[in-house]
Amino acid sequence: MIASKLLRRATAAGLIGGVVVVYLALVGMVEKFEVRHLVGDWLNLGKLMLALAPLLAGYLVTRPRVRGGRLVQPSPGPSTMAGLISGVLTGGLAALGVAFVQLFPDGAVRNIFVAVSPTLLSIMTFGKSLPVGALLLVAAGALLGALGATYRTLPERLRHPLSVGLATTFLFALLQRIIPQLLFYLNLDSTWLYSTSFGGLTPIGAVVVLVVATGLPALWAARGPRIRERVAQLPPARRRALNLSRLLLLALVLALLPRLIGSTLSQVLGQIGVFLLMGLGLNIVVGYAGLLDLGYVAFFATGAYLTALFTGAHLVTSLGAVASPGFVLHLNFYAAVPLVILVAAFIGLLIGAPVLRLRGDYLAIVTLGFGEIARVLVASSWLQKFTGGPQGLRDITDAHIGGVGFRDPQPFYYLVLAFCALAIFVSARLADSRVGRAWSAMREDELAAEAMGVSTVRYKLLAFAMGAAVGCLSGTLFAVQIGSLTPDSFTIFVSITALAVVVLGGMGSIRGVLVGTMLLIGLPGLLDEFEEYRLLVYGAALIAVMILRPQGLIPNVRRMRELQEEEVAQDQWLKEEVPAATVAGGGGGS
Amino acid sequence: MSALLEIRGLVKRFGGLNAVDRVDLDVEAGEILSVIGPNGAGKTTLFNVVTGLYAPDGGSIVFDGHSLVGLKPNQVCGLGISRTFQTVRLFSNMTVLENAMVGQHCRTRSGVLGAVLRLPRTRAEEQVVREQARSALSFFGSRLASFREDQPAMALSYANRRRLEIARAMATNPKLILLDEPTAGMNPKETEEMIGLIGKLRDERGFTIVVIEHDMRLVRGVSDRVIALDYGRKVAEGTFDEVASDVRVIEAYLGKGAVKAG
Repeated sequence: MIASKLLRRATAAGLIGGVVVVYLALVGMVEKFEVRHLVGDWLNLGKLMLALAPLLAGYLVTRPRVRGGRLVQPSPGPSTMAGLISGVLTGGLAALGVAFVQLFPDGAVRNIFVAVSPTLLSIMTFGKSLPVGALLLVAAGALLGALGATYRTLPERLRHPLSVGLATTFLFALLQRIIPQLLFYLNLDSTWLYSTSFGGLTPIGAVVVLVVATGLPALWAARGPRIRERVAQLPPARRRALNLSRLLLLALVLALLPRLIGSTLSQVLGQIGVFLLMGLGLNIVVGYAGLLDLGYVAFFATGAYLTALFTGAHLVTSLGAVASPGFVLHLNFYAAVPLVILVAAFIGLLIGAPVLRLRGDYLAIVTLGFGEIARVLVASSWLQKFTGGPQGLRDITDAHIGGVGFRDPQPFYYLVLAFCALAIFVSARLADSRVGRAWSAMREDELAAEAMGVSTVRYKLLAFAMGAAVGCLSGTLFAVQIGSLTPDSFTIFVSITALAVVVLGGMGSIRGVLVGTMLLIGLPGLLDEFEEYRLLVYGAALIAVMILRPQGLIPNVRRMRELQEEEVAQDQWLKEEVPAATVAGGGGGS
Repeated sequence: MSALLEIRGLVKRFGGLNAVDRVDLDVEAGEILSVIGPNGAGKTTLFNVVTGLYAPDGGSIVFDGHSLVGLKPNQVCGLGISRTFQTVRLFSNMTVLENAMVGQHCRTRSGVLGAVLRLPRTRAEEQVVREQARSALSFFGSRLASFREDQPAMALSYANRRRLEIARAMATNPKLILLDEPTAGMNPKETEEMIGLIGKLRDERGFTIVVIEHDMRLVRGVSDRVIALDYGRKVAEGTFDEVASDVRVIEAYLGKGAVKAG
């Protein structure tokens, strides 16, 4: 028998899963993503999305809950049952949706929900008639739900490698435009791995990737500790050499990357770099110091416009003539950058000063306002002499080095790479220092930090200044890359994207920001079908992260593992008070 | 020779309520002073005013020759007063060691440039910070040492959190430590241990200590001197036995007429 609490959760998750499926179908994502083949012609992104709903429902229903200070994992039997139930509900709801559409004459529903095309209906019923299709939906839902739940009950040593394997396979399938090209440049045959007719992995390729990607972490789990121990025992000089060679290898790969993947994809990389810089800057403000800044676009704009004015640009007057701005220096780009950084840091201080006393939501609202003010200012007639108003600036000087321009995607990538490397270096050094500790302390408990001698006024201002200094570089690069600026590029969506990158990746974690940028900027750049649903995906991803993994995908705390179990009940008297919690199984009664 | 901390006529009002009402208090260097009083007597407010969290509405506070009135908490900390909180306020996502290292903040100087370039001076300073933090942690023996150092503070047991808060306060290299109910929520055995530790804190590390406490065993066990507050006023001062038998103190705890009835 399955416990009533678990049953209730399974029902809820199943229904939510069903709503998600219906929703995805109604907004047209399912049909649109059908074209992206992942594995041969039997798995595409649309199908995967449909399958994920019951899978995740089953998986999440059975996730361990904290009860009485302990994690309690439901036992396998009831888990599978709960997954099955939630899957049936998800599939059932989807089937109901399809049946509902069939109730009406052809095309009636489509008048309201434009995405409900015959193609979509045929996808949802697996190309069969309604009754058969509905049954198939329920059966598939049940199977996937149970699968998701069973997956959760696997022991960690199986589940971890398998998760890595599945994720890697998915990634390989998504990178179908990059990896074959890479292999081609390396003179390797890619036809066994990637299907030439569909674009995705071949079934054999998928299996190979899955097996290898599952096997390696499993092998590492068995051998890794010993290897790590040996590395730790190496003399410091050897260890430094090892680290250095790893770094060099990484640098080599990064340096060769644009050659291998071509110009279009280099552009995506450049885009990633620009947002990575922004994310790193915002990470200092939000992640390190805990100051929620929703107006970060202000620094993006500052960097861009200052770069234009310091290196030279033209503006279009209201009469259509090209003129010089009211203030312009014709500095070399590399001389201008330090100046831009200084001015941006100063503007960071100016923005920081009035909001010092604000915390949390109030701070967020005020900074949101500052972001909008920045956009309004650059578009205003008051500053038109300098910013060109709504028409903006053009002919921004390129960042030449010895006659080589950086406007083309591939050279631009190298410029971005250098800036990103610098920003990552500064961020990492800051995090692991007295300054970083003071920021962390302030983020954790402002009052206690102040009482322990941290001047919160000073460190808040410093955070704004440093965040601005790093973030303005993204604007600088943006100006160089595009060569022209208009206020349209500096909307609130820039702030939102930057924040989404930081939150999704994990606040305060440099690697998190990297991963966040890859996912939120890289994937949509790589897969055109994402473009239309970009904000929807952002929103969904953020909500999911907030609920399931509030610390972000790659949190900056590298030590979350051992905490839950042992210490909570360490005190003798605590142990005596909560004996019941430890024996609870899959739910309340059985 | 004047006292380490001299408080004269200190007043703190919240609206019409005098949370601290014309309190005079001297803390001599090297002593352990307990502050007792019923809930709401103004004990924690007194600490908050001294450490700069609240600005006083009147009176003077002189510590080691410096007036504390108008200083910010971080400046007070810099002058050599450190404290713990009644409800534990650790930096819960930072490791045990990092928590203690933050304590060294006001004793160190390096800034952004030093951090980014990792200058020799910065590196030497970090070394000192680490040593000082470890030394503070080692005061509690093995409880906060070795593998515990790298655990986040939130993973600690309740008693260990209280200990870490004291270690963090010690790491600021203070002259005076204010402990706000160091044994709140501890079991009798842990309280017993804390009595010993507070004595050791003074004897081995040379801190002057003011402690707010409700547990009378601890107050009796550690105090050189006790003062009692009630409704913001100092109602008694002296040795533990003197204060404990003072009529006004008993009335403060048990209500008027309690002495006669008993």
